Amino acid sequence: MMKRIVVGMGLVALAAAQPQPGAQDGRQQITMPFRDPSMPRKLVVEGGTGSLTIRGYQGQDAIIEYTGREIPGATGRGRGSRNEPPPGMHQIGGSRGLDITEESNTVRVNSQNIFGGRARDMVIQVPAQTSVNVKTMFGGSMTIENISGDIEAENFNGQVTINNASGSVVAHSMNGKILVSLDRVAADKSMSFSTFNGDVDVTLPADTKARFKMRTDFGDIFTDFDVKMEANAAPVVEESKDKNGKSRRRVRVDGTQSGTINGGGPEMQFTTFNGRILIHKK
Amino acid sequence: MAEVSGGQVARLGVLFERHHRPLFRYFVSMNGNRELAEDLVQEVFFRMLRYRTSYDPAQSFTAWMYQIARNAGVDQARKRGTAQVVDIDTFVDRRAELVSASPGPEESASRGQDLALLRRAMDQLPEDKREILVLSRFQGMKHEDIAEVLGCEVGTVKVRVYRAIRALEQIYFALEKEKAS
Amino acid sequence: MNCEQAKTQMLGGAMPGENQGEEFAAHLASCESCRNESSRIGALWQSLDLLPVEEPSGKVRERFYEMLGAYRQGQASVTMPVKQAWPKMIWQVAAAAALLVVGLGVGYGVREDRSRPELVQLREEVASMRQLVALSLMQQQSASDRLRGVSWSYQVEPSDEEVMNALVTTVNHDPNVNVRLAAVDALRPFTGSPATHLMARNAVIQALPRQTTPIVQVALIDFLAELKERNAAPELRRLVSDPDIDSGVRKRAEWALERMQ
Repeated sequence: MMKRIVVGMGLVALAAAQPQPGAQDGRQQITMPFRDPSMPRKLVVEGGTGSLTIRGYQGQDAIIEYTGREIPGATGRGRGSRNEPPPGMHQIGGSRGLDITEESNTVRVNSQNIFGGRARDMVIQVPAQTSVNVKTMFGGSMTIENISGDIEAENFNGQVTINNASGSVVAHSMNGKILVSLDRVAADKSMSFSTFNGDVDVTLPADTKARFKMRTDFGDIFTDFDVKMEANAAPVVEESKDKNGKSRRRVRVDGTQSGTINGGGPEMQFTTFNGRILIHKK
Repeated sequence: MAEVSGGQVARLGVLFERHHRPLFRYFVSMNGNRELAEDLVQEVFFRMLRYRTSYDPAQSFTAWMYQIARNAGVDQARKRGTAQVVDIDTFVDRRAELVSASPGPEESASRGQDLALLRRAMDQLPEDKREILVLSRFQGMKHEDIAEVLGCEVGTVKVRVYRAIRALEQIYFALEKEKAS
Repeated sequence: MNCEQAKTQMLGGAMPGENQGEEFAAHLASCESCRNESSRIGALWQSLDLLPVEEPSGKVRERFYEMLGAYRQGQASVTMPVKQAWPKMIWQVAAAAALLVVGLGVGYGVREDRSRPELVQLREEVASMRQLVALSLMQQQSASDRLRGVSWSYQVEPSDEEVMNALVTTVNHDPNVNVRLAAVDALRPFTGSPATHLMARNAVIQALPRQTTPIVQVALIDFLAELKERNAAPELRRLVSDPDIDSGVRKRAEWALERMQ
């Protein structure tokens, strides 16, 4: 349902709604208002091939800025295709495959893969109190800053960096470090940080109350918090024979390590297959 | 909501998920006390469960819920002896002298950003003005629903919202002046 | 339209379902003072949206579901206390539930006295409440809430089929990786109960081919390895020989097969 918001003229200082192309890099900007104040604000971003930055700011709308750029070293793919700029020319726009909609106070940014070796970098600004749900598949790094809503972030090949968060964080990368810093931890929010290949590095306020569940299959766990550990499974000693028939002994501490800080609270899970877990006190 | 009337009590859970957060925000904006607000949310859902057969499906659910919410709030205040009756017009008159000091549009754009001050201004608004702002701005309720909740004419709602935001503006700038001096 | 009328229209367009109309626009075009006022209060109206949104604590949900659970039990039971007694009973349940919840699965903190029917009913109500909370949370929009739902599942009886099924559904279908991961771990207690252990094991075996995210695949493999679940061997062998599967996962499947010998 279309909803009009008219607030008179000359208004609140917001970024301009007109697209502002930059000659060199074809930077474009789109502003999407959140139109339904009875629902909480949400930003959903899907797809993407370049870097993604989401930043909380003092304004009212979602401002999406994007640039198309060559991926250096892209071989073969798309060469000579229609998507390659003719020699001496640069692309204007590059919004093909970019779909931005708003409904029920949720702004959705859907960025399809761009073939032809071009990536689209995006910077999205939203009011700090917006919940953010991001899932990228072939992109690069993902950075989310100054958001006080709930954050759900999933990256495929790249680091996930979350700074100055004060809502809940649920983050995952298949191949990349999870780097999170929380300014404030709400009393009842569960959180989870996981990656298959990479470190999980989280900074929390010193007075956070939580129950940690930590697991790394190949790596160590470090923290400067005073963690009251719960009884864990005893180390498992395995005898096996390797390829040459030689007897091999391995000592593993199987499974998850659990412990509480500051008396305990909601659960925070830290999981990595190949990497370290670092939990810092702020 | 009609389903609950039909006796399927468990469906109230769905309504709970959808509405308990805005309801909490309503109560906290009205009385400033988080614990009290939580108690009141609980009370409202209990009353909705108990009086579910009195809900008329033709009526807006939100309007019904907020009518119950207001009653619960009043009952609570009566129990605690904190009910206040504020003379609205006196309040506005006291601030009337500041009307001439109100700035032009460019200045107010940047001023609106001092959120702490805005919060304080909201808290200093007379209850009924704060309530109508909360219902219209935070809950995003339509004028008809607000009219039903407050028991007034639909046309009156527009006027009252306008008066409420004007009062807020005056308090806000008064606070700003105090801060500057 | 005069200024008086215009004033009342100023915020009209900002509200859902409202419209300001052409007369208003025409008046603004010709009246500077109304124009100024409109933009000023418009700006203030917008700024209200920037105020932090107060969020209730998780206790609100717990209290609600325990009330609902108690109500449901009450509806089914024949010897229901008279309606006037309701509020008192709810708070008794609440107080007892609070004590039990603090115990966190370590067992009921109150003295067990099965000869007292109220206590039995109380335990049932609390158990039903925990089930309701877990099931409800697992269906929430926010991943953080679904994670809480999964942690709540540790509070229910290991024989609770409904919660176990909800966890299996979560493992197979939840859109969030972290929630799926948490749900795998949460299935562990269900392998300890005679009522559900077979179902839990089968569910995990069947979940394995459906997962494509390495971190969840490894969690499932570890689960089966720990149980020495030989029925999983064909599935594990398939993973080892599938070139599309991540090498870390394949090695893990190999390790698991060795462990089960």
